[in-house]
Amino acid sequence: MKDAYTTKGKSTLVLCHFFLPFSLEFVWCTLNFKHGHTMGPPDSVAIPPAKFSMPVDSEHKATEFRLFSIAKPHMRAFHLSWISFFSCFVSSFAAPPLIPIIRDDLNLTATDIGNAGIASVSGAVFARVAMGTACDLFGPRLASASLILLTAPAVYFTSIASSPISFLLVRFFTGFSLATFVSTQFWMSSMFSANVVGTANGLSGGWGNLGGGATQLIMPLVFAVIRDVGAVKFTAWRIAFIIPALFQTMTAFAVILFGQDLPDGNFQKLHKDGDKPKDDFSKVFYHGVSNYRGWILALTYGYCFGVELTVDNIIAEYFYDRFDLKLHTAGIIAATFGLANLFSRPFGGLLSDVVAKRFGMRGRLWTLWTVQTIGGILCVILGRVESLGSSIAVMVAFSIFCQAACGLTFGVVPFVSRRSLGVISGMTGGGGNVGAVVTQLIFFKGSKYSKETGITLMGIMIICCTLSICLIHFPQWGGMFSGPTSNKDFSEEDYYLSEWSSHEKDRGFHHGSLKFADNSRSGRGKRSVASTTPAACTSPIHPSLASDSL
Amino acid sequence: MGTRAVILASLLVACLAQACDGNVLFSSLSRTLVVEASPTAGQVLKSGEDKIKVTWSFNGTHSGKDTDYKTVKVKLCYAPVSQKDRGWRKTVDNLKKDKTCPHLIVARPYSSSAPNNSFEWTVTKDIPKATYFIRVYAINASANEVGYGQTTNKNKTTNLFEVDAITGRHTSLDIASVCFSAFSVLSLAGFFIGEKRRAKKSSPPHM
Repeated sequence: MKDAYTTKGKSTLVLCHFFLPFSLEFVWCTLNFKHGHTMGPPDSVAIPPAKFSMPVDSEHKATEFRLFSIAKPHMRAFHLSWISFFSCFVSSFAAPPLIPIIRDDLNLTATDIGNAGIASVSGAVFARVAMGTACDLFGPRLASASLILLTAPAVYFTSIASSPISFLLVRFFTGFSLATFVSTQFWMSSMFSANVVGTANGLSGGWGNLGGGATQLIMPLVFAVIRDVGAVKFTAWRIAFIIPALFQTMTAFAVILFGQDLPDGNFQKLHKDGDKPKDDFSKVFYHGVSNYRGWILALTYGYCFGVELTVDNIIAEYFYDRFDLKLHTAGIIAATFGLANLFSRPFGGLLSDVVAKRFGMRGRLWTLWTVQTIGGILCVILGRVESLGSSIAVMVAFSIFCQAACGLTFGVVPFVSRRSLGVISGMTGGGGNVGAVVTQLIFFKGSKYSKETGITLMGIMIICCTLSICLIHFPQWGGMFSGPTSNKDFSEEDYYLSEWSSHEKDRGFHHGSLKFADNSRSGRGKRSVASTTPAACTSPIHPSLASDSL
Repeated sequence: MGTRAVILASLLVACLAQACDGNVLFSSLSRTLVVEASPTAGQVLKSGEDKIKVTWSFNGTHSGKDTDYKTVKVKLCYAPVSQKDRGWRKTVDNLKKDKTCPHLIVARPYSSSAPNNSFEWTVTKDIPKATYFIRVYAINASANEVGYGQTTNKNKTTNLFEVDAITGRHTSLDIASVCFSAFSVLSLAGFFIGEKRRAKKSSPPHM
């Protein structure tokens, strides 16, 4: 079997996917460098000046985002998190491009392949929620490294799979590693301040998701090299799986050795020193699941990220069957969908931050609804177009809007809860996978709908589910169709401190939320910043916060 | 009305052009060759070891002639039971899109008499585990199929044989997988213990 890629095609692809994001990032970094200090919240007077190499806020979160730096701890955390998440995506979607070989070796039927595809995304549904809680309790560094090292065996065992059942099992357990998404978002939300958190989340999430596209190029190449060295086809694919497994293991080591949970140190050390009170699992969980906004975001994320996972699993086969393409051509087109994550998801995060500067949280919600709905419309069109060229064009446009919506979602998530940030991130992330499972079960299993009809129906479902964003309302900032609750003069502190009981407040557990509330005042948008009295910014809270030891 | 007629006409022309353009339909071919192969019905062959001997000859009772046969292609084809629920092995009438016979055993110039009308082939290691039959296509000078013969009947139900494929697994690979997995889990345990020790050392226990 010949696996030849034209170098011309590959270099064009690389050019397109690298030129745009670097120009975007250059513009963003330049803007931020000039205006960073005036736009961000005021620095606390209590910080020793030389401790961090980047400007930080009162929680020691970075207020700037410098892509090309690996400065400890903020930017280093960013690079560690996106690379480890990327490796998990590479492993989870390493099988689809090699399916034509694997299905002959293991004697799989189309049903077996479909079931394995569903299994690969269903494991992470609960793993993401569990991961959210683990991050809240143990910190993202240990939580993510543990998950990655515990799922690496599943990838190694893919090499020795010998039947449809064992294949389904290894794909199922490998898919658990997609829960590192939650630790990535949690880590970024802990390291970066409100004005850049959308960008940080979008970039780390997007560049991680990139793995789903990169693997469609990497795995066939690794397979071809091993086969050309002399291995038989049915052995070469098995050896090829060692590569993503080793990569995954190495990134976990890097996270443990070089990473740090919070700007001030690691969870365990901070717990022991008393700087960070150890929180109660049941309370954290309760405050997460009782916040209705988390559930709405879980639903809508299921129809941007869930759709993205579904398309990752079915799009190569769709182009292969409908347009009678060669396997590696279908693979390259499939890779394009995932590779758009290089810029489209970060762009969503960036857009969220840019809109929030002027319009605050209401702007973030409106932009999310608009972008995701346009994605749904493009999905409907994708199922209806007849020619190859227009299908590719619509698919690329669809991928950009769908992935930007993912980035925009995580521009909203950090503000839903402070105490239960991990649980909310986990619910949203888990909701993404539920969307993938449900969509594949309803529209892409068996022969009830042709793939084209399935894609159109999926687009209609995206549009309907996205409407639920209209229901999100923050009392201190408002919602899509309503302003902030005017009668109570509800502030950010009131919202975030409502998660702590007065007993806990007496013991000072809520100080982290207090700092966050102050830093999140950008949720009001530009119009309201001028009306915010100086007293709210330099409030009497600061002197007591300066004495951090409890 | 006018546009619809134009569209229909162009579709018809396109279909005819397809047929002329080398898109041969299997249903248009006659079974002009007699093909015999060494595997008996139900025999299981081991890939990489066992051999298949194929012999083909022109069917004398057929009315046509074999003068335009230039080459023959001997192919290993999937039986219907191995095509079930596997869309990538689907039988399609248009031979360009047909996926029933993806494995080429040999292609050689046409000859109806011994010794050039037979071939012995060792089942290669990339043949998957499935049920098969053998088909031979006769091809003319413009590379279009003009006749065929096969070892089974029209419905592909008789005289089928199986191939038992290699798994591709090796003991060394099994051992490597287990060792690497154990290493991942144990190193995680090691890190946890190291962290606990370091945390205990740096901050002495509170009274």
